[in-house]
Amino acid sequence: MSTIHLENLVKRFGPFTALKTMDLTIADGEFVALLGPSGCGKSTTMNMIAGIERPSEGRILFGGRDMAGVPMGRRGVGFVFQNYAIFTHMTVRQNLAYGLRATRRPADEVARRVGTMAELLQLTDLMDRPAAGLSVNILQRVAIGRSAVMEPAIFLLDEPLSNVDAAFRAVMRTELKQLQRTFRQTMVYVTHDQLEAMTMADRIAVMDHGVLQQVGTPLEIYNNPANLFVARFIGAPGMNLLRGRPVETAGAMSIDLGELGLTPTLTPEQSAAVRAAKGEVIYGFRPEQVSRGLGMAMPVNFVERIGARTILHLGQGKDVAKVVLENDAGFETGKDLHFLPLPSAVRLFDAASGIALRGH
Amino acid sequence: MKDESAKLGFRLTLPAQVLVLFISVFPLLMQLYISLTDWSPLSGQSWTQAWTMWNTFANYSDVIHDSRLWAALGRTALIMAVCVPVEFLLGLGLATLFMDDFPGKRVAYSILIMPMMVVPAVAGYMFYMLFQSGGPVNDILSRLLGHPVTLAWLSDPRLALVAVMTADIWQWTPLMFLILLAGLVGVPDDQIKAATLLGAGPVHRFITIVLPRMKAIIGIALAIRVIECFKIFDTLFIMTGGGPGVATETISVYIYKIATQDLIWGYVAAIALVILIVLSIACVWALKRMAK
Repeated sequence: MSTIHLENLVKRFGPFTALKTMDLTIADGEFVALLGPSGCGKSTTMNMIAGIERPSEGRILFGGRDMAGVPMGRRGVGFVFQNYAIFTHMTVRQNLAYGLRATRRPADEVARRVGTMAELLQLTDLMDRPAAGLSVNILQRVAIGRSAVMEPAIFLLDEPLSNVDAAFRAVMRTELKQLQRTFRQTMVYVTHDQLEAMTMADRIAVMDHGVLQQVGTPLEIYNNPANLFVARFIGAPGMNLLRGRPVETAGAMSIDLGELGLTPTLTPEQSAAVRAAKGEVIYGFRPEQVSRGLGMAMPVNFVERIGARTILHLGQGKDVAKVVLENDAGFETGKDLHFLPLPSAVRLFDAASGIALRGH
Repeated sequence: MKDESAKLGFRLTLPAQVLVLFISVFPLLMQLYISLTDWSPLSGQSWTQAWTMWNTFANYSDVIHDSRLWAALGRTALIMAVCVPVEFLLGLGLATLFMDDFPGKRVAYSILIMPMMVVPAVAGYMFYMLFQSGGPVNDILSRLLGHPVTLAWLSDPRLALVAVMTADIWQWTPLMFLILLAGLVGVPDDQIKAATLLGAGPVHRFITIVLPRMKAIIGIALAIRVIECFKIFDTLFIMTGGGPGVATETISVYIYKIATQDLIWGYVAAIALVILIVLSIACVWALKRMAK
């Protein structure tokens, strides 16, 4: 049972700053995903929480206790590595018992706790098998069990599903979420896969270039991206972002997208925000939140069928957008598609700073 | 078609095969042949005529009763039993030390490797000078102990053995260090981290993670040194010539002496062949055990 506070955390490797600054509070029992492209500093953050790396600046507190100077073996942190780091020269049982034996627990306690954990993870039949020849999904359970048997207050998982094929990944997402419900530990989960973050996490912390971009529930992040990076990164495909200049005619505000013409009029709140921002803005809308109808027109350039839906790539050059339609929707490649972003789904960003403009 | 390419392959490798035949098979057969005779270069006949001095297995039965040979074998085993473990422990300790960063690591690394690159004969001469009764070793000991030390390192039978072992350890610990360092580097970092995060201390980690992972490489390192140590010759020969008396006479030195001084080559061939067979069996056995 432990909260995690990260205060002004900075990590430099020589001249390279991996983590520019990070402030994050993770509640007790919460499942937080650190999401971002590779090199964004998410693994560095995780390693610092575990004590594998030492922060260059800032503090890490577990339940109010400063962790500086507490070595990684004493932090009470369970860590599941990307490649699981299973001790392949041991059996499953020896793997599960490793931590308890290393910390000199009595033999009967070790046997009892390992037995319980094995049952929970359905490993009972595999206990005496050498860990070397086991399949990935079993290795993953062993890795989780090996840490969980120590009953750590905090559980850290470093991209545990990145080595698994797509079909297994879906199964394991559910499995992991259920495990977290069982253990009720604070979990930090590092991933570059937004689907994993979206499906499992209570809150997502989106990171890029060593900077925390946004923290929020999966829906908050999807619906109200804090900046252009999050807007582009979250969603498959990401948000459409078109640059334009605000124009006001007869009290109605819309965005002049240049060659694409005017956008449909903005809501009064959006108009107020745009007016306050001054200067160019980015007009954003989700590809899946459009309706057919007169509003905007862009030529269909390329068609991508993804099974359940069809993605249309519209326009060319700098003015491009994607639209997700039902498979039976009528369109003609090369011809203009007329569509209308749902007024409530339009998001506006300041073109200069990239920060979301929120109407109040 | 496949037959054609196999034939071509055979023809292309033929020169190499002939070379191997001459380098290894021919001398072996020649040795076997001579070992069954009383032939000596002093007999005035070419080795091809050795059959005129045929004695069947007399040389081999002499080997069994040769007490000087068995004493030399025992001495070689003693040197092996002392040097290899000491080199192993020193090498492992140094390799563990070199896994961490410390100032001057690169320089220390170069200095440590250096003994291995010294020509054994030069190393032998170096230690010959170091262990003179008026030499630096006694000098340093005198200063450390505060009273004059005048040990006759190379002429005292027991001390000579110590001096010879010291030279061997000096020269071959670096090889052990290099091999074991490679082994240590090969232990996956994640496993060490995982063990640490599970609360294992450095000693527990070393015993449960590092050593089991290095089993194969430790086996190889020990095998190399055991075989090399069995053949110990050059450094030792320059330092003591196998003496005083026969105090440091190892198998190689003994064979060298009877080959160059006594010139009974038929007998020498028999000894060498017996050793070759025994060592080969030991090696195959060790390799099979290691593979398990």
